[in-house]
Amino acid sequence: MSKSPGSVAVALIAVALLSGCGISIPADPDGTLERVTGGELRVGVTESVPWTEIEGGGDPTGTEVDLVEEFAENIDADIEWSEGGEADLVYRLERGELDLVIGGFTDTTPWTSKAAMTQPYAESTNPEGKTAKHVMLTPMGENAFLVRLERFLLEGEGEQ
Amino acid sequence: MTKATPRFGRTELPDRQADVLKASIRIQWATLAFLVITIVLVYLVLGNSQAMKAAWIEDLLSLAPPLAFLIAVRIVNRTPTMGNPYGFHRSVGVAHLVAGVALFVMGAYLIVDSASGLLSAEHPPIGSVELFGNVIWLGWLMMGVMALTIPLPIYFGHRKMALAKELHDKVLYADADMNKADWQTAVGSIVGVAGIGIGWWWADAAAAIFIASSIVRDGVKNVRAAVTDLMDSRATTFDDGKPHPLGRRVVDEVRALRWVDDAGVRLRDQGHVFHAEVFVVPRRGKVSLSELEDARDRLIALDWKLQDVVLVPVEQLPEEVGGSLHDHQSERNR
Repeated sequence: MSKSPGSVAVALIAVALLSGCGISIPADPDGTLERVTGGELRVGVTESVPWTEIEGGGDPTGTEVDLVEEFAENIDADIEWSEGGEADLVYRLERGELDLVIGGFTDTTPWTSKAAMTQPYAESTNPEGKTAKHVMLTPMGENAFLVRLERFLLEGEGEQ
Repeated sequence: MTKATPRFGRTELPDRQADVLKASIRIQWATLAFLVITIVLVYLVLGNSQAMKAAWIEDLLSLAPPLAFLIAVRIVNRTPTMGNPYGFHRSVGVAHLVAGVALFVMGAYLIVDSASGLLSAEHPPIGSVELFGNVIWLGWLMMGVMALTIPLPIYFGHRKMALAKELHDKVLYADADMNKADWQTAVGSIVGVAGIGIGWWWADAAAAIFIASSIVRDGVKNVRAAVTDLMDSRATTFDDGKPHPLGRRVVDEVRALRWVDDAGVRLRDQGHVFHAEVFVVPRRGKVSLSELEDARDRLIALDWKLQDVVLVPVEQLPEEVGGSLHDHQSERNR
């Protein structure tokens, strides 16, 4: 029985050592945050006014688009926008062809088994008077990227 | 159902066992309180970790044995009636079986669920949580909560093990056994979440499979023990380790009587107490009613666990209690 608290201590020390060795926790299995920082952030966008608005020719606009642009600036990334329907964008997110999908998603989105949603960062009231909590979709299990984005969305800034 | 003297059926418990029973009831209530708090805490930080889900379900299932114990000690309190002439002791065995089946089914489900997640290479997402104005990774909270759940079950387990031995209570024993192994679940889920933390997406599902297989093992162990008792197998010690010594003592006690030529016993474990059918071969084929009554009183005085003693005078011992002539109690006399 004295083994058990000991093994926890060992586990915690191991975690502490690993984090000391430069592995930040949480880490991305596929290295998304590392790749997009100072690189290219591939964002899928589907239209949902006023969160996202797609006008012929130019880059998308809308409140979510503004947030993503600010986030990209924050991590020194250039955005490559892709437009499409939800199913198509989530499919590409799953295949690792996109890093982020936006378009007025709420925390009741049915895509949760295919995409990781962020914490709700904004609320709105729909026509029936119900509160909708807004989220963005990130690749499954890319936790460092997810936490970095959430930190930006929730704290209103992203500086570490 | 008097509150004054704790009893199992018609058996008034000796002071020592009565105290042990009270202590067991107290510790089971404490276990329930601890589990409810744990279940709520773990639920709050559950997130998307399969290992955490497995640990949470195990916590939910661990409610069953203490509940079964607390309900059973109330039911076995009733005295036998016309409708239930053997009393209500078997409620313990029924509770034991139900708990075992629940463990087994849930564990098997979790193994399949986790293995399919592993095979389809699902990467579990664990995001952040806002705590007192700080945004921190939810994984830290998960590991913290699981670490908190480690020490108490180990204490409960050791304490209950001693009580189970004293009370001859197999549900309590099974529960103690599970509590003692519970820290492995907590450590397993901590390792799983830590694995996610350093980017090993598979660590979580692997840890969940480890936890689930311990649940299945508990289930199999409990079902086997419960079925053994419900099948009226030979009475064993509380940990099913060896035949219970009381059987030997009964036979010795009866054989020592002057009017007895040979004796054998069928002892069934009713849960806490034993029911005994004692086959006696009287010397020269004669026995008086008062001799039988006297023998019965002697046996009941042997041990508090021994109750519902039936003496059967026979010409020859049936084979199953040590007779040598291949006669069985279930066959007619020749």
